[in-house]
Amino acid sequence: MHIIYFLLEEARLATKATELKILIKAIWVLNWFNSCGFAELVPMVGSRWDMERFGMIITGTPRHADVLFIAGYQTFKSLERAKRIYEQMAEPKVVLALGSCTMSGGMYWDSYNTVKRLSDHLPITMYIPGCPPRPEAVFEACGKIFQHVKEM
Amino acid sequence: MGNRQRPVKREELLETMESRFGVEPRVAEDGTVWVSIDSEHLSALLVFTKRGGFNHCSAISVTDWPADEAFELTYHLWSYEEKVLLTVKSRIDRQEATVNSAIPLWGPSAGIHERELHELFGVEFLGNPDLVPLFLESWDGPPPFRKDFDWRAYVREAFYEEGNPHEQSYWD
Repeated sequence: MHIIYFLLEEARLATKATELKILIKAIWVLNWFNSCGFAELVPMVGSRWDMERFGMIITGTPRHADVLFIAGYQTFKSLERAKRIYEQMAEPKVVLALGSCTMSGGMYWDSYNTVKRLSDHLPITMYIPGCPPRPEAVFEACGKIFQHVKEM
Repeated sequence: MGNRQRPVKREELLETMESRFGVEPRVAEDGTVWVSIDSEHLSALLVFTKRGGFNHCSAISVTDWPADEAFELTYHLWSYEEKVLLTVKSRIDRQEATVNSAIPLWGPSAGIHERELHELFGVEFLGNPDLVPLFLESWDGPPPFRKDFDWRAYVREAFYEEGNPHEQSYWD
């Protein structure tokens, strides 16, 4: 009887370990901020909102990044650079687009030099609405990335 | 050109402009000197101001006057020695918008303004070696800051689909 309990406990720990092994890697984020989304997301990186407690780390190079944060509208000039950054990232990769500008153009809906729907140009995994999105919304999206990592 | 410079006083500047270039400078309340000159004599006037100690070219700008078929060029110049701010205005033809570059006088700091004006208004600056668009890399429309550029119609054609129920409000 005792041995059965022991085996069950072992199995539970093993499952936990497998789960942990999946989640053991932190999410490395590359920020591609070239508009006002920057202003809202810098506090998220800093000590007030502290994204590192959710296991997200800012990296400086796309080659180490798992997640590409695109904050705000893209001009057609910056879009070419964003595509290049996306190509440099290793699989599996996730693209998060922040703010209403990336979804519909936002307040730049009639601007001649901004992208209206970012998903026409880049494979967006998740849109975070808001103008700009609050850090809570971004963290909720981050929780879903963890889910996504498990699926990957 | 540097050793031939001699700072001109405000009175001398006003006098020479009237006698040599036949223009009527206007002195604003704050001491700023405004002068309008025809495009033929613009280069000569700019050379005169540069030799007269206006070493700082703060900005070059263009105003579009579609009703008059003209672009109005504005040069803001500053003399460190005499503390005079001079604004030179000149109208050029809108269809053939060409003007001599100010790079020989003020160097690259004038060049970057000309590059911007070429991108946004389509003004050709003769002698400027770098008129590559800064922002509009793959632009196929007309220069966007011209007043007759209907940007709303351009955006509708370029980005929105007629008949798409979600985008119908852009067409109404």
